[in-house]
Amino acid sequence: MDSATIGVIHSYLCSAAEEMRRTLIRTAFSPVIYEVLDFGISIYSSDLDLIADAPGLAFFLGANDYAVKTGIERVGVDNLEPGDIIALNYPYWSSAHAADVALFAPVFDDGEDRPFAYTCIRAHWLDMGAKDPGYVLDSTDIHQEGLILPAVKVYKRGKPDKELLDVIRFNSRMPENVLGDLEAQVAATQTGIDRLKQVRRKFGGDVLAQAITGILDYGERITRKALKEIPNGSWTAEDYVDDDGIDDEIIPLRVRVTVKNDRFIVDFSESPGAAVGPVNIPFGLSQTIGKVVLKILTAPNHPSNAGCFRPLEVIAPPGNLFHAVYPAATYTLWPAMVALELVLKALSVAMPDRIPACSGGDVPGFMMYGKEPASGRPYAISNNEPVGWGAAAGHDGANAHNHVSTTMVRNTPIEVMEAKTGMQFDRVELRCDSGGAGKFRGGLGIYRDIRFVWPGHFLSITKKSKTSPWSLEGGHRPQPNAFHVFPDTARNAKVGTYRTAVSPGEHILSVSAGGGGHGNPGLRDPGLVLNDVLDGYVSVQAAEEIYKVAIKDGKVDTRATSALRGTTGD
Amino acid sequence: MGSYNLGIDIGGTFIDAILFDGKTGETRLEKAPTVPQNPSSGVLRAVDKLGIDLGEVGTIVHGTTLGLNAVLERRGARVGIITTEGFRDILELGRGDLPADHMYDMHYRRPEPLVQRRRIAGVPERLNVDGKVDVRLDGDAVVNAVNHLVHKQDVSSMAICCLHSYRNPEHERQIAAIARELFPDIWLSVSHEVVREYREYERTCTTVLDAYIRPIFERYIDDLYSDLADKGFTGRFLVMRSSGGAMTAQAAKQRPLDSVMSGPAGGIIGASYLAQQLQLDRVLTMDFGGTSLDTCVIENAAPDVIHETRLQHMPVLIPTFDIRCLGAGGGSIAWLEEGMLRLGPQSAGAEPGPIAYGRGGKEPTLTDAALVLGYIDPDNFLNGELPLYMTEARKGLESGIATPMGADALEAAAGIFSVLVAQTEGAVREITIEQGKDPKEFSILAFGGAGPLVAPLLALEMGIPSTIIPNVPAVFSAWGMLMADLATDVSRTYIVELEESQLPGVAELFQVLEQEASSSLTQQGVETDKQAMVRCMEMRYLGQEHTLKLEVQGMPAYEAVRFLFDSAHEQRYGHRTEQPLELVNLRVTGLGRVAKPGLARQSATTSTGSFENVSGTRKAYCFRDRKMKVFQLVERHRLVPGDCISGPAIIDEGTSTTVIYTGQVCTLDDFGHLLITT
Repeated sequence: MDSATIGVIHSYLCSAAEEMRRTLIRTAFSPVIYEVLDFGISIYSSDLDLIADAPGLAFFLGANDYAVKTGIERVGVDNLEPGDIIALNYPYWSSAHAADVALFAPVFDDGEDRPFAYTCIRAHWLDMGAKDPGYVLDSTDIHQEGLILPAVKVYKRGKPDKELLDVIRFNSRMPENVLGDLEAQVAATQTGIDRLKQVRRKFGGDVLAQAITGILDYGERITRKALKEIPNGSWTAEDYVDDDGIDDEIIPLRVRVTVKNDRFIVDFSESPGAAVGPVNIPFGLSQTIGKVVLKILTAPNHPSNAGCFRPLEVIAPPGNLFHAVYPAATYTLWPAMVALELVLKALSVAMPDRIPACSGGDVPGFMMYGKEPASGRPYAISNNEPVGWGAAAGHDGANAHNHVSTTMVRNTPIEVMEAKTGMQFDRVELRCDSGGAGKFRGGLGIYRDIRFVWPGHFLSITKKSKTSPWSLEGGHRPQPNAFHVFPDTARNAKVGTYRTAVSPGEHILSVSAGGGGHGNPGLRDPGLVLNDVLDGYVSVQAAEEIYKVAIKDGKVDTRATSALRGTTGD
Repeated sequence: MGSYNLGIDIGGTFIDAILFDGKTGETRLEKAPTVPQNPSSGVLRAVDKLGIDLGEVGTIVHGTTLGLNAVLERRGARVGIITTEGFRDILELGRGDLPADHMYDMHYRRPEPLVQRRRIAGVPERLNVDGKVDVRLDGDAVVNAVNHLVHKQDVSSMAICCLHSYRNPEHERQIAAIARELFPDIWLSVSHEVVREYREYERTCTTVLDAYIRPIFERYIDDLYSDLADKGFTGRFLVMRSSGGAMTAQAAKQRPLDSVMSGPAGGIIGASYLAQQLQLDRVLTMDFGGTSLDTCVIENAAPDVIHETRLQHMPVLIPTFDIRCLGAGGGSIAWLEEGMLRLGPQSAGAEPGPIAYGRGGKEPTLTDAALVLGYIDPDNFLNGELPLYMTEARKGLESGIATPMGADALEAAAGIFSVLVAQTEGAVREITIEQGKDPKEFSILAFGGAGPLVAPLLALEMGIPSTIIPNVPAVFSAWGMLMADLATDVSRTYIVELEESQLPGVAELFQVLEQEASSSLTQQGVETDKQAMVRCMEMRYLGQEHTLKLEVQGMPAYEAVRFLFDSAHEQRYGHRTEQPLELVNLRVTGLGRVAKPGLARQSATTSTGSFENVSGTRKAYCFRDRKMKVFQLVERHRLVPGDCISGPAIIDEGTSTTVIYTGQVCTLDDFGHLLITT
């Protein structure tokens, strides 16, 4: 197969995924899909190898691979017909919690009896009838987490299964949104099917199949080439998540990463066994953690395909925290975010110059739900808080961005949230001194002061509020995420994952973590420290005590700084 | 008033001055190099080369990307921001996301900000979501903040942007009044005046950009106008807008952002005008230049206009033509990566340029491929001004691509074009499908130097039946500027659940907006009876975030609005719902029609139908037959209306080349356009 044809077909396949993405965004009902972009879209070969995907949620994309393989195995290729669309949210097969439903479909050319490709779209469905509205924080088994669709056909030969749709309708608290979003997923699926059929007709089945082989080989080669830049070796790391949502105990996460020639092995075997609460990671998601890290390290700017992941092996025995088995609870999968940076932490031992320190640690999120006082209509609006990013050898961490696992997700504007919920904000601002100090400083987290103007319910999620994000090479650790509920009252508490009723006039303060520092802060360029002080990122006091730089009247006091740093001055 | 109209378009390297003679219908073009340090002097040079008396010129239409360049090169004013206390980081926080091409980049850092945090001051004040005062504005704090920004931070231009000011601008007005009283000479950009729409980050960013370019833009327009006046110009001086139409220099100084994305606007205006004259319902423009291929959808002679665009990473809430970059341009570099042929995103640019330019370029580009495929005459490129190096181009293609992929230079060049076609077709489908449209229903209108070279190939591969190549496609954008009407846009965010009882309020607000638009046009010299108003409502189903824009006549009844919206939603998104409608924004565009040159019919020489007057033949690659074929060579200026050429053929006009393939037929219409059927 010649390089040009491979390039041409690759381009058409990527466009097909992009067309699916645009159709989904344009037809979805729920802001969580078209504003927050909480979805993942992938296209597979007849062998179920990923051949193209569209930008979305990184964890969803890799998880689709496992879901489609498991789902097709469950249904059986022989039972597939043109126009079938299958829904799957059984966490152990679909690699995500029950609210994230994967819809996948075989693609047949007219008159053929075997599919030549598959499409998959995973999106967050607003309510699948779990034990609590909004989000589940404390389930102890899968049956508290919502209606389960165990790889069943929602469309059969192009026709919706009305009975199944009624089952979904009567199991959801927000059926209009859920069924509207399902239709959007179906429309986007149809776009993908039409487009793939056109590509096959344009080039013929044989040429397409050969080009797919070429595309996968290409993915493998760019990955293996980049892997050569990573030294051989085996490294371990440990980090912690707050609790399992049921009791208060900190849970350790452990990983061993091995690079052996061009193999990349991520082993979670030393992590603890299943938790009681909903923090158990489906194995497909554990594999995805490995995929995302490999992608970050080797081919961040290339489209993904299964070839890219051929060097990867992920190990976690069934029953391990990273290999959830029935009936383990899986709703709050925040440990996966922590684990993403945990794998990087292990690699930082080998590559202290390439890996940045930890970000704020995970995605601190909050949600308010209730009824609009005027109309009585129910609403549920969530928001991800940005965290500081970790500093690296050579540069500071970025201030307040969404976590590295959710980089495409956008937060909700203040003016929109205030219009749609009973929250009003008194402050949304960067936190001075929240970035981990270092020769290179971690990025800053933010404060958000929330005052309630309507009654309703509020919930917060972070699993990284009790232990600090890690730093590198002598950099300092930042303060972790936290939610301070009802400050200055008797009910005052510092919490991570929490649900409470709220009344008008009450306050909650959300505090997101900065990123870890890199290198000794006493070695930071005094000019950079001055700039940080002038911009209010670092206080004069911290400049003096931590960075050993004296700032006076908007300038560096060179003499005092030399004294602080124990150097002789310039 | 004079009989000439003059269009002046400043590009990155050249200034085009195009003169239209109202008496003879002729157009004439001169070029001069862009002078970045003193843009006005470059303009005058180009005008001088035309050798006309400026007293004879009735209207000058000026397209400038000065504002855009000031942002790209960070040459704008030192800006300070005054905002609500507790919210001074709105600009830096943005929406928290990364650009899509950085999805996996854990080393990502934001580009240099336009305003450092030290120059952002919060003052006590707060409006709630209904626009009611929660915290009263602290005037003393404003005085302190303004003094601090001007005296301590050397700020010369100030952006004022408070939360929920789109609902109630009173606090912003008071802050502006205080600042104005303290420092009468400071430039002020106030968010509700720049863009009275919701979403604090987008509004702040827009206001800051306005403040950033306002001083430099004002100075430039004043300089240029007085220089032109010194040379005897007494006519009307207009500046191009990003969403079509033009505005007087005075209006442009008040709204500098309106011109910021006007670079490609002339081509779109020209294309709309042609679409109307040639009665084409659906047109896809293909503007193919050195660095990119840009497209815009034009339906019923009205190009798509969007109300949020991006300048680098920054959102800007200004109306612009919905122009999408489809990817590669003539200078885009082709390369082999681990067994896959890729094109772009790197470009050889103008320097060193393609290998064929012989200026040190080492990497094969699309232009080199076009040369090897036989589409360009190496001795007659740009009227022979730039001889091309065929042997070097072929060698570069061989060593860089052909040999490693086990092919010859010709196969490699054809492969590069195939990749271009695949990328372009994909991008065209993406932008038409997101609107629920099929690309096959469009005609292609191709311009820019290389547009005619690739458009017929795209038409062939995409099955698009009709392609139009206008006269002198290389300067079509400058010609299009002469077709601009005067225009002004006003908008207001007004979020309500739409019911019959709300409509009187909506109608009232429309009238307020129309009065604003009308007074702007009146100030620009358009009499009331020459003004036309276009009303649009942006709406959505309750709960959605995206809106659909509907043009309405007067104030229709609720049922009519509902019907229009449901139909539009179904057309675009494939479904309708029973959800209530929510109104989000009202928009009014005020238009003042101006006289413009008409299309000139070509001389009445009658054609014999088929065209015999070929100037020779050349072997070139035919994508229909997938092999080298003998192409007829035709000089465009020798064609007369009715002439008809069957592909394969190459139609040369010095500044650009049209390539058609076996099975395609090209005819010359009465106005001199090439019409290609596929």
